[in-house]
Amino acid sequence: MLPATLEEAVEALAAAPAAVPVAGGTDLMGAVNAGLLRPPALVGLGRISELRGWRYEDGGTAVLGAGLTHARMGRPDFAALIPGLADAARTAGPPQIRNSGTLGGNIATADPAGDTLPVLAALEAAVTLTGPAGSREVPVSHLLTGLDPMRPGELLGWVRVPLLHAPQVYLKATGRSGPARAAASVALVLDPARRAVRCAVGAVAPVPLRPLEAEAWVSTCIDWDGERGIDPAALTAFGEYVAGACVPDPQALADPGGPAPGAGDGPAPAGGPPAAAQRLRRTVAVLARRALGRALK
Amino acid sequence: MTAPTDTASGAPGAGPAPEPGSAAGGVLGNVFGAPAAPAEPAAGAAAEEAAPEPEPFGLGSSPVRQDALPKALGVYPYAADLWAEGLLWGAVLRSPHPHARIVSVDASAALALPGVHAVVTAADLPSDHGGRAAGAPHGPVIADRPVLAAEVVRHQGEPVAAVAADHPDTARLAAAAVAVEYEVLEPVTDPEKSFHAGPLHPDGNLFRHLPLRFGDPDAVGDVVVEGLYQVGRQDPAPIGAEAGLAVPRPDGGVELHVASTNPHGDRDRAAACLGLEPDRVRLVVTGVPGATADREDLSFQVTLALLALRTGRPVKMALGREDSFHAHAHRHPALLRYRHHADSLGHLVKVEAQILLDGGAYADVSSEALAAAAAFSAGPYVVPHVFVDAWAVRTNNPPAGRMRGEGALQACFAYESQLDKLAAKLGVDPLEIRRRNAMATGDLMPTGQAVTCPAPVGALLDAVAAEPLPPLPVDEPDTEWLLPGGPHGAGDPAAVRRGIGYAVGMVHMLGAEGADEVSTATVRVSGEQATVICAAVDAGQGFATLARQVVQDVLGVTDVWIAPVDTDQPAAGPTARGRQTWVSGGAVEKAALMVRHQLLQPIAANFGMSPELLQIADGKITSYDGVLGMPVSEALEGKELWATAQCRPHPTEPLDDAGQGDAFVSVAFCAMRAVVDVDIELGAVRVVDVTVAQDVGRALNPRQIEARIEAGVTQGVGLALLEELQAEDGRLVNPSFTGYRLPTALDTPEVRIAALLEERDVVASFGAKAVGAAPAVVAPAAVAAAVRAATGRPVTRLPVRPQDAVV
Repeated sequence: MLPATLEEAVEALAAAPAAVPVAGGTDLMGAVNAGLLRPPALVGLGRISELRGWRYEDGGTAVLGAGLTHARMGRPDFAALIPGLADAARTAGPPQIRNSGTLGGNIATADPAGDTLPVLAALEAAVTLTGPAGSREVPVSHLLTGLDPMRPGELLGWVRVPLLHAPQVYLKATGRSGPARAAASVALVLDPARRAVRCAVGAVAPVPLRPLEAEAWVSTCIDWDGERGIDPAALTAFGEYVAGACVPDPQALADPGGPAPGAGDGPAPAGGPPAAAQRLRRTVAVLARRALGRALK
Repeated sequence: MTAPTDTASGAPGAGPAPEPGSAAGGVLGNVFGAPAAPAEPAAGAAAEEAAPEPEPFGLGSSPVRQDALPKALGVYPYAADLWAEGLLWGAVLRSPHPHARIVSVDASAALALPGVHAVVTAADLPSDHGGRAAGAPHGPVIADRPVLAAEVVRHQGEPVAAVAADHPDTARLAAAAVAVEYEVLEPVTDPEKSFHAGPLHPDGNLFRHLPLRFGDPDAVGDVVVEGLYQVGRQDPAPIGAEAGLAVPRPDGGVELHVASTNPHGDRDRAAACLGLEPDRVRLVVTGVPGATADREDLSFQVTLALLALRTGRPVKMALGREDSFHAHAHRHPALLRYRHHADSLGHLVKVEAQILLDGGAYADVSSEALAAAAAFSAGPYVVPHVFVDAWAVRTNNPPAGRMRGEGALQACFAYESQLDKLAAKLGVDPLEIRRRNAMATGDLMPTGQAVTCPAPVGALLDAVAAEPLPPLPVDEPDTEWLLPGGPHGAGDPAAVRRGIGYAVGMVHMLGAEGADEVSTATVRVSGEQATVICAAVDAGQGFATLARQVVQDVLGVTDVWIAPVDTDQPAAGPTARGRQTWVSGGAVEKAALMVRHQLLQPIAANFGMSPELLQIADGKITSYDGVLGMPVSEALEGKELWATAQCRPHPTEPLDDAGQGDAFVSVAFCAMRAVVDVDIELGAVRVVDVTVAQDVGRALNPRQIEARIEAGVTQGVGLALLEELQAEDGRLVNPSFTGYRLPTALDTPEVRIAALLEERDVVASFGAKAVGAAPAVVAPAAVAAAVRAATGRPVTRLPVRPQDAVV
């Protein structure tokens, strides 16, 4: 089925509830080829051209189509709009994947290492889900954490992102020069209007984590009225703060009885030996420090 | 010089001109090429553009592979593209357990599926002498590996049953529907524990123990350095996964169309496994996608043949990526403990080593890899006293086998790391300590064998050192600097440290320890066209191109056709260990020389002179005195000449129980300098530049050599930084290209060739040495040394993980 509009797609999905919607297919077809998935039918979303672009709405918001490809998001005009998302899209894999993989697919797959997810979490973006009963808006974080999951028959149509007109950074640690999955990633956006720093850490837990206390603290350290300067020591401290909040304490991991403090609500790849958690903490700290440093440069 | 963009014929203009080989090729080429070459080279670029590029010709020139264009365009038929009318699809059921007893196999559910034509298990293969189903064990050296597991599975992914059905999905489903009841056994996955564990196989757990005793065991040096080194499991990861087609023959035999690299060996072993006479199994080599190891395991071929025989219909099987990771052999993971003794000047006194190779579940070529690891354990250095104990053991890990530089690579990483350690302890430059100990022709290897071939180790080091270093980013602030972590990555220039590392290594070529190396080739000339019939498989290393060049060189014929390979031709042996240039190339040369003699003798007789006084050059037959000048084409007109010749290099002997003996035909050397950038906070490493100097004997096709070196370096960089097929309790963790990280273009360094040293090896065919393995052997050691220099961390494990490069 190849619907041309979102409404048609919703109808098609309602007509064949077992069908699986497919956009870029970079995750789905991999699973099909590996024999893990054998969908009885597919609803191709590639012909819905309205979802392949974006529009502006009042109140400084961009509404992005779920069918935007990573390659499109990596282009300079988009980068001028939402630089963090562009950064994430550019690192999201080899060119073949970026040419077909879409923003909506990245959200729907909700891979822990999905590159756009921490950026959307930091931007506090919301998605529009359209189903037979109409449309509703859900914050990305609620969708990802399962607080408000997608219902049967719903399609992810739009992603509502605030335009902040300030530096945004996305950094990921991969250990190699070629494209790779993130071992840890950090998205950081500045919101000068609210004098806020928002940060999200990806790939260390099943969903992006927000170190809220670290954000609140560091925003008080920034000279918002001047050249947005910051004490280098505060940068380092911010990194440690973020890492401490997002990666469970190695000591606590070594002692299974102890509670894991901070936002470490997921088992994370750090569920292994304490040394691995120690390294992950260090990596996240370096990424967060560099991200804030770049954003304020 | 602006090279004309002649891509179709891929002429030499694409490469840098001042190569000695290509210059010679140019001269010959001009004569043989189209007569339209401009008389005035100064006529300018326009005239140069207009002139068609002369076809490269003969040895020393660089013609491109004939299949390069079809492969680049995507029209080359690979083994996975094979098709036959009415074919069935095969699928294999693999063991999910690394070690288990098979209690029962029930195929009834699978057979009941519509579209399923046959299910085969070990019971369908010839039984052993006791009449029990043994799964027809096979192996290149020791027959210990069943085609389909009988009674016991010894590694995860071991084939248990196979299915033929009319659709690939049906076949896969049916394979999954074969009910196998296992009694799970405790796997032995730590090679160190294998010594004392209960036997995993009736043959025992020790594949081979090789002690090497050379010199005085009591010798002690002034300075002693010790180290423990570990090498992970690299996979050959062929992009073109295993695929093939089996067609039953009316005489009860079977024809296998597969991308084998050892057609006759595979044919003989497949026939033995099937209980057929060898001549009833015909193997046709087709659509080889390239190989840096044995292309595929025999189990795949035998299963395919068995399904075809059982169903009486053609059966095709094309493995998926995960299947492929389970099917072929990997590089031996190794644990190496070293102690180097040196005097105060840095001259090596004694090397002591313990080497442990994890051979996985089956023997494969572990004993051969072990011989290389032990024999080259001291490296290309003069060491008067060497004491090594090397073991290859059986575990329940995935089986290890042949892969470019097997054995030599693991040892190279360890001894080069030790030399760096020694240099640091003595305060000597790493390059200098290598020069002081460098081996030369006539020196003894620790096996007591004298190195009789050229051994220009010092010259290779000098060549690498003389090459200028790549510029530092501070010197070129305007150029975009690719940081570790890649474009748009997390790299921070303030945290990047640059390191430079040197390594030199050696690898043997051809079979060792008495392996009978022989190849047969036929050259036929009919009119102006020559045909080469030789069963040497071109697995990407360029043999077909070389055979063409050899015939061109000897006979002066331009048009040379290389016949496709099948087992109706005489055997040429496996494409491995860099042997085809020497053995099959030698056979082609001999056959061509015999044809040449047949051609020249009547002409010489006409002139009343001996044929030795005639020569073929520039497409003409000329006599020493210049009286005769006859174009080759004229001499060949209407003639049909052919000759078959064999090449068998001098024999070798097995290593004795002190590790002594003339076990190797010849060795090749390579020196490398790696320059890396390390993000010392994140541990990301980028190899910026690798400079190579290699001992090639004679550059028969310089461009092909460069390609081999680039390939070897890339594979070495992969092992050094990325590639590791991890197994936890014997189960593969990352059998996919998402998990198994192959180097991409961004991970691959600039490869510069400082020198191809052409010191001819007088006993080798053409004086040339094998070139493929040496760079792959040395590159991991060079990269590790560079990371060590950049970070100051010990780096004792390959691949280098981010945590090993964080300061």
